[in-house]
Amino acid sequence: MHAQDKVVDPNEVVLWSDDYEGHDVISTRTFGFWMYVLSDGMLFATLFAAYGVLSYSHSYYTGPTPAQFVAPWYTFIQTMALFLSVLAYGFAMTALKSGSKAGVVNGIIASMLLGGVFLGLNVHDVLRMISIGVTPETSGGLSAFYALTQVHAAHIFVGLIWMLVMLYQIMRQGFTEDTVGRLISLRMFWQFQAVMWVFIYIFVYLWGYMS
Amino acid sequence: MSHGHSDPIHHPEVQMATNRNYITGFVVSSLLMLAATILVKDHVLPSFGLLLAIIGCAGIAIIAQVYFLLHIDISEHNIWNTVALVMFIPLFIITIGLTWWMFSQLYMRTMPMMPGMPGMH
Repeated sequence: MHAQDKVVDPNEVVLWSDDYEGHDVISTRTFGFWMYVLSDGMLFATLFAAYGVLSYSHSYYTGPTPAQFVAPWYTFIQTMALFLSVLAYGFAMTALKSGSKAGVVNGIIASMLLGGVFLGLNVHDVLRMISIGVTPETSGGLSAFYALTQVHAAHIFVGLIWMLVMLYQIMRQGFTEDTVGRLISLRMFWQFQAVMWVFIYIFVYLWGYMS
Repeated sequence: MSHGHSDPIHHPEVQMATNRNYITGFVVSSLLMLAATILVKDHVLPSFGLLLAIIGCAGIAIIAQVYFLLHIDISEHNIWNTVALVMFIPLFIITIGLTWWMFSQLYMRTMPMMPGMPGMH
């Protein structure tokens, strides 16, 4: 190698990048939010564990068991509303790739409406169960059932509020580093609720129905 | 982890979204939930087989959602999310599994069946 062949011109040499590439705010924040999402998963783990130890037949004592009050097809429709809501949010995120404000807003509105359907069906189901005497105070098993399903419903409610806030922020601020980062965090939050719902639907509703 | 983009739209975590993945994740998990519902409703299998079948449906649906929706893979931008999830899974399973196992043993050893009492299984 003849390094000295090439004379370094101090006026042209590039020793560092012109602009500071900076700290990657979006990646850092979304990773931090992913840590939160996984801790939220641990909250669900404790509720699943509580339901697990309180779903023996003696846990219901002489009261109703899930086999008597769970309606699988009704809950399946709830499942589809949630999955479609997650899909609509996915479409919003794809629209974000090209910076389409209309696409993102429409996707989030569709996602909110479907999430609202999920929540509405949940409230209707709870009212139906209470009307036939399936209340949380009846037995330990029912307390665990209500705690788990309603904590999930509370997450959905918070997600809907968050979507409303994002709609407002997108309208007011457009796609800034902050709003885009929040949209990605909300995507993880929303999709994670669908993952938790798979566990709830299969292990609480369907398993409860068949045992 | 720096990308040199000032426009947040060009961030890799925005650009990795694809409709194809989201639709695949939706279709796979919906079909598995449908299959599980039909299996349970029609009771086509004996109880233990049915339980294994719905556990299989849940497992595959969750893997599909985690892969296609949450972008958990080994690409440069997602590898740390994947590592965190891999660390999370044993905690999740141990929390539920050990608690459930401990209480099932406790019930078995401390709650003798009395005549006329609702049964345990």
